[in-house]
Amino acid sequence: MQADDWLVGVDVGGTFTDFYAFDRASGTVALHKTSSTPDNAADAIVSGLRELAEKTGFPLSAVRNLAHGTTVATNALIQRRGARVAVVTTENFRDLVEIGRQIRPKLYDLKADHPMPLAPREMRFEVRERIGAAGEVVTPLDEASVEAVIEKLKACKAEAVAIAFLFSYLNPAHEEAVKARIAAALPEIAISTSSEVQPEFREYERSSTTLLNAYLQPAFSHYMTTLKDALAEMSPGATVGINQSSGGLMSVDKARDFPIRTALSGPAAGAMGAIHTARLSGRADIVTLDMGGTSADVALIRNLETKLSFDRDVAGFPVRMPMVDINTVGAGGGSLAWFDRDGLVKVGPVSAGAVPGPACYGRGGTEPTVTDANVVLGRLSGHGLLGGSMTLDVEASRRAVGKIAESLGFTVERTAKGILDIVSANMVRAIRAISVERGHDPREFVLMPFGGAGPLHAEGCARALGIKEIIIPYSPGILCAQGLLVADRAESFVRSGRLALAEENASELADLVASMMTEAEGWWEAESVEPKARSRKLAIDMRYASQNYELQIGVDELPSVDELRRLFFAAHEQAYGFHNPDDPVDVMAVRLTALGRLPSPGTPPIGAGASATPQPRTHRPVWFDGEAAIETPIYDRASFAPGTRIEGPAVIDQFDATSLLFPKDVARVDDALNIIITRGDAS
Amino acid sequence: MSRPPLQESPLDPITIEIVASAFRSVVDETFIALMKSAYSTNIKERHDHSTAICDRDGRLIVQADMSLPIHIASMTGLMETILSKYRLEDIAEGDVFVANDPHVAGGTHLPDINYAAPLFLGDELIGFVCNIAHHADIGGMAPGSMAGGMSEIYQEGLRIPLVRLFRKGELQQDLMDLFLLNARIPDERRGDHFAQIAACRLGVRRVKEIGERYGVATIRQVFDELVTRTMARMREAIAGVPDGTYRFEDVMDDDGVATVDIPIRLAITISGDRAVFDWRGSSPQVSGNINVPINATKAAVAYGLRALLDPEIPNNQGILDCCELVTDPGSIVDCRAPAPVAARAHTSQRLIDIIIGAFAAAIPERAVGASNGANTTAVFSGKDPRTGRDYLYFETLGGGFGGRNDRDGKDGVQVHITNTSNLPIEAIETEYPLRVVSYGFVEDSGGAGRHRGGGGLRRVIQPIGHDCLFNGAGERFRNAPWGIFGGGPGRPGRYVLEGEDGETILDVKPSGVTVGPDERVVIETPGSGGYGAPAERDPASLRDDLVSGKYSRTYLETHYPAAKLSD
Repeated sequence: MQADDWLVGVDVGGTFTDFYAFDRASGTVALHKTSSTPDNAADAIVSGLRELAEKTGFPLSAVRNLAHGTTVATNALIQRRGARVAVVTTENFRDLVEIGRQIRPKLYDLKADHPMPLAPREMRFEVRERIGAAGEVVTPLDEASVEAVIEKLKACKAEAVAIAFLFSYLNPAHEEAVKARIAAALPEIAISTSSEVQPEFREYERSSTTLLNAYLQPAFSHYMTTLKDALAEMSPGATVGINQSSGGLMSVDKARDFPIRTALSGPAAGAMGAIHTARLSGRADIVTLDMGGTSADVALIRNLETKLSFDRDVAGFPVRMPMVDINTVGAGGGSLAWFDRDGLVKVGPVSAGAVPGPACYGRGGTEPTVTDANVVLGRLSGHGLLGGSMTLDVEASRRAVGKIAESLGFTVERTAKGILDIVSANMVRAIRAISVERGHDPREFVLMPFGGAGPLHAEGCARALGIKEIIIPYSPGILCAQGLLVADRAESFVRSGRLALAEENASELADLVASMMTEAEGWWEAESVEPKARSRKLAIDMRYASQNYELQIGVDELPSVDELRRLFFAAHEQAYGFHNPDDPVDVMAVRLTALGRLPSPGTPPIGAGASATPQPRTHRPVWFDGEAAIETPIYDRASFAPGTRIEGPAVIDQFDATSLLFPKDVARVDDALNIIITRGDAS
Repeated sequence: MSRPPLQESPLDPITIEIVASAFRSVVDETFIALMKSAYSTNIKERHDHSTAICDRDGRLIVQADMSLPIHIASMTGLMETILSKYRLEDIAEGDVFVANDPHVAGGTHLPDINYAAPLFLGDELIGFVCNIAHHADIGGMAPGSMAGGMSEIYQEGLRIPLVRLFRKGELQQDLMDLFLLNARIPDERRGDHFAQIAACRLGVRRVKEIGERYGVATIRQVFDELVTRTMARMREAIAGVPDGTYRFEDVMDDDGVATVDIPIRLAITISGDRAVFDWRGSSPQVSGNINVPINATKAAVAYGLRALLDPEIPNNQGILDCCELVTDPGSIVDCRAPAPVAARAHTSQRLIDIIIGAFAAAIPERAVGASNGANTTAVFSGKDPRTGRDYLYFETLGGGFGGRNDRDGKDGVQVHITNTSNLPIEAIETEYPLRVVSYGFVEDSGGAGRHRGGGGLRRVIQPIGHDCLFNGAGERFRNAPWGIFGGGPGRPGRYVLEGEDGETILDVKPSGVTVGPDERVVIETPGSGGYGAPAERDPASLRDDLVSGKYSRTYLETHYPAAKLSD
């Protein structure tokens, strides 16, 4: 192995940019956190990387891989800070992106509307052309109408344009021709076509995704170029990968063309980190709970793989792309507790945010939050967060929670416990949606909490779901940055259409897969992925001919038609509890993911002074139920060596999170320094 | 059967919220499962279905978030029928009940098939899981079972009184055979029935899991608390409306058979925390299929109360118990057998416009201009020349949503009692031998006002290489959607047949129109009414109206004469 061999994960969030660096030569781990720079996120990456290298003492030229997760695209969408964007559609269909699915977001709210499209109607232009349902040309592309559109694009000063024609997923010729004409006439303009962004059935979702992509292109391109140029100078030997929503890395050039693929970049990295942690701990089936200040993301991992979903709203707009199947719920440390008009207590989705924040922050907040409830119960120490750099005002928390307690006629502690039970119930609903509702029994899974607040709330969720084991990763607060280190490079290929699952179509199906393999080979070559690092995943989306929702079946190789049908029936049985053996089945999409494995980091090093028989730092009363406090030992996580075994109750503090061990629970520390909790009341 | 007394100590609001959260999870899960596994376009793509849990007294306890407002009362209608037909001790675990009839089984029209399965915890019946789904066909004279032109319910399809499709877990195959023989495309209908049955079983399984955790007594108390608290919450909202009697009336265009401009009248009397909806003086029931069963009228009132007074209130019996109705039996809002009812949703939309119109004087800041007031329907059927098989394409189109006190109305959207998605063009053309020629907003269709009304939609459809049949059902084609507080009316809708020799305006409820491969059907849905005087519209908004091309210069100059429109 080389003298220095650094792998760096960088996770850019709205507030902080996190670094997790690992030297494969020495096994050294280095962590760093710096403020994000919203104007050009690349600035914080470059300066943070310099600081990290300086403080750790390695040359930047020793960085071999840099993997990057980013919320820049998502934030730009939420804050509407994208380009002046136009849309080009098939003639007579410019209103499609505004009509959407013609539904209201809230059935009973007379004043709630879906947001208006990012391209106003006067920037939506039509071209005479039409492709039919078999991919045939119904109306040839009219060149004169293309020229007219180019003039309009000039006149309206568009910075980006999305081209989205009907049935382009079957025949992209017209989109490609229009793109070529616009690119030749207006070289400065960024162009997205729907057949490149996501060549799949359903015109509104495809058009919306393409429009979002175009909207993001100019700013994202600037960001990527800055990053690429700076790194080429600082770390010329480094391979740079940008994390996609589906949980694989893409090149900087791909990211420049397809910024929308980063919409779930950060949460997907969290799932990657969870998989890595699970693998080190010898577990395969995990439910993740990533809880921060305002929301919680949950995901299901089975056999060390995440499920993918394809439809999601981002900033109020539908996006269709492969994305890690993450369910988000408005439950975080800052979530407010309040009385609804029927007298029931609710928690969230409204959050106190960073300002004023929970009452205990002493920044003017007076309403009770989840964090205040944890402070009241002694679960969070008054000595504070972030390793003691921020103290908490216990009395302010008591006053805030006391307002609810008074109305209920409960003690403050019982009320605080109730607030935590409700927030757990909200997260449990989110977990059920990705487990039970997909045909998986959560009792067969391990719960992995992370994010700043996850480990505080794991027990409540595990109990409600019947989960017996909880794994708290080595560094729950920066698992996303860590996850980036273990992500593979990946590119997805899809063929969307409709093919009856029948023997006579077997060869067509085989040809489809073969042609996608050819594309995958091309990608491996273009990305210089060595043959031994190559692997692939194949998945077939199927449904009954009369249904509209597909079930996805993962396979190693394309099986026989009979076998595919059998697999579909089994999946239908699992998802819906029945199947109809005689009804015709259609294949709706074939998906191939080409992977390029990257070198993997090992386990983190054991800290100096750690021991398998650590002593508590102190004791304090902690309320595990609403009835009475228990004098509870408080440990420093840094003092844990592999082999540590602790019986609850205990509180375990570390720089970026606090974990709870309930009475009767037992915690063990494994070789990768993860804490594995076996729940006491689990049968 | 009398109920054992409830536990003495009331449950605390935290426990109720946590248990209720578990039940909300069950109805949402069954809703999604039904949507994803069903075969009917109405269910899988347009989400014309609902799921719920009722208690053993038949009270609606919790309904899926995405459930349709019009289904709320059919759920309880089915419950009333079950409880009046069977003794509780005759109901067994594994039974599944099915009904659709509006006159004898609490339904609201025949294509909505209602399912219910009893919930047992131990030996004790605690309630029912229910679902409703709109099947693409239930037989009758015309494909789709929704066409106009019929004068008796017998012509509209198979009437299912309350039947027990499963007895102790065993399918009564002869009943299923009867259902399927009476529907077009029975293979598809079988898929829908099995999706509904599976959703029932899933719900039963999930409630049992909750029952094991919390016990029968707690669950029954939670049921009671949810209903009681919702009712108290709605009563409090009603008490916030000034006392008085508020009147409004409007007309339905056409019953598709014999009668036009059919009046509907409402007087709402608010006194304290009670609201009485008096519909007397409305038209007698009509020959055409726009009659409304009392349960659907109740659903419209429940929708109106919730939308105007408390949009976030949970949907359960507590709201229905606040809906006090007075009607003339045999009138269009309380029809009796054998009145045809297939298109009752059009009338439901009108009932809501009327409720909003009546409340406008009392709560002006919450009222909105009349919306498109229709479920503009398009049904294309024929034989697919590619396969030789019969096809049926059914869709309802959105239109304008009325102007509001603080913003314009919404263009091209489903309103009020319905919120069904459109079918993607790529789905239509893949599944049916039809071409969608255009799809967009209708110019100049939202009523003028300080906040203008939303505009209607235009969709043009042409059969490919064959003759097809077109059936439609429109409303607000004769009587424009009105504006409020000085706002102008929206543009009415229309159906047009376009051919080589020009265009023919079709009826409001056209039936059996043959469309050749060189012809196309133009569907234009109504716009909606504006809010406030046009003179108060701000110039920037007027400029947007012009620049976006949604409004012509001529229209703007006519309706906003004082405004100066620059380019």
